[in-house]
Amino acid sequence: MVEIVLALLAGAALTAGPLLWSARRAAGTARAATRRATEADNRAQGAEARARTAETRAREGEEHARSADARAHAAEARHTLAEARLAAAVREFTHLAHERLPAAATALTHPRTPVPGPLDTTGGNEELHRALDAVLGAALRAALAERERTDAAARAALRGAASKIQALLIQVRSLLEEIQLSVDDPRLLALDFRNELTLRRVQSLAVLSGSWPGMTREDSPLAELCVGAQSRVAGYARIEITNHLREPRLAVAARAAEPVAIALAEILGNATAYSHPETRVVVAIEQGSSGALVVVDDMGVGMEPDQLERAGDLLDGQAEVLLTELGDPPQAGFAVIGLLCRQFGFGCRVEPSPYGGVRAILRLPADLLTLTDPAAPLSALAPRPITQGAPVFDAGDALPTRKRRTPRVPQQDAPSPRTQRQDAPSPLPAPAGTTPDRARSAWSALQSGTAAGRSAADQPASPQGPAAPEGVETP
Amino acid sequence: MTTPPRRRLVPAYLATHGRTAAAGTRPLDRLSVLHAAADLPAGLGGEHRQLWELVRPGALTLAEAAAHLRLPVSATVFIAADLAERGALSVRAPIPSAQPVNRDLAERLLSGLRALK
Repeated sequence: MVEIVLALLAGAALTAGPLLWSARRAAGTARAATRRATEADNRAQGAEARARTAETRAREGEEHARSADARAHAAEARHTLAEARLAAAVREFTHLAHERLPAAATALTHPRTPVPGPLDTTGGNEELHRALDAVLGAALRAALAERERTDAAARAALRGAASKIQALLIQVRSLLEEIQLSVDDPRLLALDFRNELTLRRVQSLAVLSGSWPGMTREDSPLAELCVGAQSRVAGYARIEITNHLREPRLAVAARAAEPVAIALAEILGNATAYSHPETRVVVAIEQGSSGALVVVDDMGVGMEPDQLERAGDLLDGQAEVLLTELGDPPQAGFAVIGLLCRQFGFGCRVEPSPYGGVRAILRLPADLLTLTDPAAPLSALAPRPITQGAPVFDAGDALPTRKRRTPRVPQQDAPSPRTQRQDAPSPLPAPAGTTPDRARSAWSALQSGTAAGRSAADQPASPQGPAAPEGVETP
Repeated sequence: MTTPPRRRLVPAYLATHGRTAAAGTRPLDRLSVLHAAADLPAGLGGEHRQLWELVRPGALTLAEAAAHLRLPVSATVFIAADLAERGALSVRAPIPSAQPVNRDLAERLLSGLRALK
């Protein structure tokens, strides 16, 4: 039995051996299948992920394409705009080169020239306009600097020439003056006049070129300065100077004497040049409370308001004076006066004259005024103050002298010289003697007495008694 | 003491008033003698009055008057001629200088007169 069992067992074992092996084999196969399935599954998942990624990429690519398209459109628009701006800029630059710059350059010498602005004034292109203005500014600055340099060179050349000519003409003047004392030919006087006219021209050029007026003087009586200025003007015979000074020895201090004479000569030159040759030029020398005035009136055509304004600028010394700005032919008068005013401290202004032309007023402040030595005689050709008596020459003296014989009447309106000379009474008793001085005072006392007597006889009922002679205030 | 001569400020040619020749037809000389003849006419300048007042007390030659006015003779001629033309000044021709006596002729005359006795 045992053997059977054993045999059975052995048989079973023999049978079970292959069974076992095949079972093992089946299990191995199953495991491999499972493994493969897992792998396939993994692969499927990977493929899915890749597919999703590819999809995402595709969408991204699409978006990229769309944005690139938009960018291309935008770039095209910008390009068009840039082209338009470039064209506008080119137009502006052409306009700047052909219109604005030349006009601005002209405006440097002719301030009233209109200077056009940029073509496009709507704004929105400030950067371009700033750049254009910078170009314009730089060009003008360069032009101004160059003009200054050229002008300075011209002034220097002029200064040298003018001072030489001036020195020679002053020598000619001295010689002529000397010859006039020994030779009586009136042509010498005419020659002297021409020389003086030339000298004045050269002097004004010298002043413009920035040099010293070229002549030193002592303290000079204002009346003589006015007549001296008159003598330097072509139409001097038309100029009538009336002297209203209270103090006949009122003089201009040495430092300003010649400059004042030059300035007055320029004023008188303008007045005679711009008025009809048949008309007078009226000059009044006045003594104010804080200085002296010389008032020049002409009866010419007058000046336009803008000319008056420009003249005012030149006279104030505000406007810069360049030789190139004086026009052609150069009109130097006001520029010369303005320069002298600024340098020497007197003033001048022009305004429409009640006579119809131009009135020029030269103001001399008190610090430029002084009194001359009474021993130095005034020139016979200088006008005497009309508030004084007639000029007196004492034939007995070696040199003629002036004497005041009547005290000045304060606040007296200037009467006409004729009235004053005939009617001014002398409060002094007439001394004996035959000098013109004494004869005159005696004669005027007699005259005023007669006048007073006659007017008293004409008006017997007048309660005031005898009327005072004309031209004198009753005390 | 004298002050140094001042630089000329007022030139003498102003007396001409722009004319090239003096008024009147008779030329005036340095030694023409001027008298005040009538009152000063109106409408003349200060220099005319000065010359007229200068000669009023008596008479002056033109050269003397010019020296008093401190003007050259050539300029004073213009002033004097203006006054003469208006009758305010009378002008006398210069006094001719005296001729020296011919001594020889005088001696012959004297001896002739003596011989008449």
